[in-house]
Amino acid sequence: MNAFKRDKKEEEDGGGNPFQNLEKTTVLQEARTFNDTPVNPRKCAHILTKILYLLNQGEQLGTMEATEAFFAMTKLFQSRDVVLRRLVYLGIKELSSLAEDVIIVTSSLTKDMTGKEDLYRAAAIRALCTITDSGMLAAIERYMKQAIVDRSPAVSSAALVSSLHLTKVSGDVARRWANEAQEALNSNNVMVQYHALGVLYQARKADKHAVIKLVAKLMRTSPKSPYAACMLIRMACKLLDEVDKGEELLGFIETCLRHKSEMVVYEAAHALINLGRNCTKEITPAISVLQLFCGSQKPALRFAAVRTLNKVAMSHPTAVTACNLDLENLITDSNRSIATLAITTLLKTGAESSVDR
Amino acid sequence: MDGQLAEPTLYTVKGMAILDNDGNRILAKYYDKNIFPTSKEQKTFEKNLFNKTHRANAEIIMLDGLTCVYRSNVDLFFYVMGSSHENELILMSVLNCLYDSVSQILRKNVERKAVLDSLDIVMLAMDEICDGGIILDADASSVVQRVALRTDDIPLGEQTVAQSLIVLQSAKEQLKWSLLK
Repeated sequence: MNAFKRDKKEEEDGGGNPFQNLEKTTVLQEARTFNDTPVNPRKCAHILTKILYLLNQGEQLGTMEATEAFFAMTKLFQSRDVVLRRLVYLGIKELSSLAEDVIIVTSSLTKDMTGKEDLYRAAAIRALCTITDSGMLAAIERYMKQAIVDRSPAVSSAALVSSLHLTKVSGDVARRWANEAQEALNSNNVMVQYHALGVLYQARKADKHAVIKLVAKLMRTSPKSPYAACMLIRMACKLLDEVDKGEELLGFIETCLRHKSEMVVYEAAHALINLGRNCTKEITPAISVLQLFCGSQKPALRFAAVRTLNKVAMSHPTAVTACNLDLENLITDSNRSIATLAITTLLKTGAESSVDR
Repeated sequence: MDGQLAEPTLYTVKGMAILDNDGNRILAKYYDKNIFPTSKEQKTFEKNLFNKTHRANAEIIMLDGLTCVYRSNVDLFFYVMGSSHENELILMSVLNCLYDSVSQILRKNVERKAVLDSLDIVMLAMDEICDGGIILDADASSVVQRVALRTDDIPLGEQTVAQSLIVLQSAKEQLKWSLLK
């Protein structure tokens, strides 16, 4: 009975948040436990979670404090506990911008990234790349190229995404690793394909002809990943802005209106409308797709559709008139953003006849 | 109109947050240094976002030039933020992945207490979904596979025993309550 009452009391206090009244100094003191041998994984994981929680809450750590915590954390590499190890990677990423001499963990991370455990490898790559500076880049380059073409999708994705982040450190990383990214583009994994396309675009975006070739090749095979397809549509739009003739590109975007993923269909419709071409013929199919979306069950889809219609109503009010009935239905939508957008769109396209309804 | 065509990039997600039913932050990550550079600005934004969304169960809202998609359950609110030019359905897929991963990690028991109890795993899951603003994985079951490491410490047989124990306990409690009334 007593336990029952206590539960209830706790609930009123706000559910008994074990992290509620954490003191930064106390937690950092507790971090000294990390130096104990052998490491107690559960206890250390809990303390590390507290540190990560404090950082996430916006607690400021001084350079000294951060460095001390970071060095204590490096001791945890002795443990083979998977959760603890993963939390250490997270800690390295969070503290890398605050602490000094973070490159101390380079060799531990390189060991993990080339090790056998897939669960370690992907996360180790991402942690390693956050502490890598331009001087260290050459040392890890070989491993990174291998990781990009790894058979494990998690490892491959981690390496591709990290190489995009590394562009900030050294501008030509993506270009140097483009061959590997090209190979990863053929992956069956939807995310790897998407990430590889991102890296390839980053590598080639300065060279218009290279982008044209890349887009032309992908248009023929049409990527399996909906995310990659959205990215490809955006790349095609960018090219359409720059080249004179773009019948093929335009045709590709139009075929995407019939893609099986709603995400891609919307991306294509949005693209056709925002291309800023003055030809009504091109935007009519896009508008009919959006008209369909106006009646969707999903608020996000209705919102996306009406927001895009709102934009096109500015330049082509007559083309949107066909959707007036659907838009009128949205005026009473439970989502106020959708209702507002529907009303402002109707103000641009509506005629006297609709005022009565 | 040309400004609408943003540079093609993988950096899609501006932020992700899990708030409790008072609008306080449980976990939040912002990936773009240019929006809300300090934690004070972030928290003001979160309060504002919470006030605008906690009653209307509307799934999507525009706020401070960001498109925010959200979802709630019992005493938790999940948010994913992106730029106002971003494809809303992509953001939605990230939100669904975040929610479903947390739900699977907590064995469908999506509430504040449970999240706090498994905070370490939830942190790891958020890290697996989005890396520095790039969607790393949007498939909940694959995210859970990458992080929910503790589930495999319990063999399947014991797991079912533990679950039936919980069922038994809750039945007991219900009986207690009905007797007390």
